[in-house]
Amino acid sequence: MSTPSDEGSPDPRYAEYVLGVLDADGRAQVEREMAASESAAAAVEQWRRRLLPLTAEIAPQAPPAHLWQRIRGELQLEEAGRARAPAAPSGFTQSLRFWHRLTLATGALLAAACVAIAFLLVRRPAAPAIPYMASTITESGGRVGWTATMDIAQSSMIVVPAAPEGVGSGRSPELWLIPHGGKPIAVGVISANAPMTIHLPPALLARLGPTAVLAVSVEPLGGSPTGQPTGPVIGQGAIGAAASGGATGSATAMILFHPGPARA
Amino acid sequence: MNQPSDETLALERLLTRTGRGDARAFAELYERLSPRLFGVCLRMLRDRNEAEDVLQEVFVTVWRRARDFDPARAAATTWLVTLARNKAIDRLRQRRPGAPLEAVDFDRLADEGRGPPAHAEASQEYARLRRCLETLDPEDQGSLREAFFTGATYKELAERGQVPLGTMKSRIRRALAQLRTCLET
Repeated sequence: MSTPSDEGSPDPRYAEYVLGVLDADGRAQVEREMAASESAAAAVEQWRRRLLPLTAEIAPQAPPAHLWQRIRGELQLEEAGRARAPAAPSGFTQSLRFWHRLTLATGALLAAACVAIAFLLVRRPAAPAIPYMASTITESGGRVGWTATMDIAQSSMIVVPAAPEGVGSGRSPELWLIPHGGKPIAVGVISANAPMTIHLPPALLARLGPTAVLAVSVEPLGGSPTGQPTGPVIGQGAIGAAASGGATGSATAMILFHPGPARA
Repeated sequence: MNQPSDETLALERLLTRTGRGDARAFAELYERLSPRLFGVCLRMLRDRNEAEDVLQEVFVTVWRRARDFDPARAAATTWLVTLARNKAIDRLRQRRPGAPLEAVDFDRLADEGRGPPAHAEASQEYARLRRCLETLDPEDQGSLREAFFTGATYKELAERGQVPLGTMKSRIRRALAQLRTCLET
């Protein structure tokens, strides 16, 4: 058996193991050696340090909202330290306007900035649908909170933050699509400081339209534990038609901040 | 030796606390790392349902094995990304052998990752690795990248590249050796 030396003619299998080219038997063999030999384990660790930085090229992708619940369910976890969310009477999520009024009335729960998401959808009957949609959220002085671009053909949305306010530490901003008269549908947990790519499943794509709205709520870490918003809405936006963007047909979305009510 | 970044130290603390049964630390770890690890799984598995299953396995394992994490041996991100890669590759190896190779768009695969790094935490280590990769023969670099990102076996890589198995092994081993030399310079 060759010694796991890293000099001379080194055993290539430790590098190959980290790279991922060994078959199942080959992998199992290396794993046994790592458990039995300190130098084998060290050789593998050395290759991990060399190669794993390459994962920086992979774009982060938001997992679906329900996955965190599945994990907590499997581990039977109570989320320690979670602040009690405002009680939501059943049926009140039917109308976003009613819900928004409720959170405004409770003032102290609303963050200083209110994020409005304007979602631009263009449909021309004679031409194919615009392949790209975008949403820009800007403050009413022009300050941008988030920009979101949607690639319909790829069923994906990229949400890029630009220093939005209103999301405290230990909380997650979560994006919702609210069809007119319907209950909010989870789009996914977004980020206040990193770009996020979100997959748009067919059920969601089908509900995009001028009568629906997008909204951002502040949730416990990892997103709402119930599948419906549990925290205050810090932004909302209408979906409306707008002129398309440049030659590529893409439109940019602006995320608008409106000054919220004075803090309590 | 690079000083660990603030982010690395923060993740270390979260992982250590998770190992002690701190559910809130675990939730924060999920919040911070799940998009990156989901990206890794998606890239390798090319199937959303499987990627979700594997990501769930990854975090269940994180909860159960975080107490084994030793910051002296490995950085927290390395530990977590390794876990995700290993589980994804194990899942790949379980796929029925002889099943037709999925209809992967290989041109897109080759283009993916040729641009700048996807997130701001890309490190000095990445910059050095990238520079060393660029010194390789383009074909060698391409095969190495394909191996890393897709988790394909030597046999699958040889079939896709339409070269003999021995050729692909030589190519990859040569690339790895050159990479090691470059990184140690």
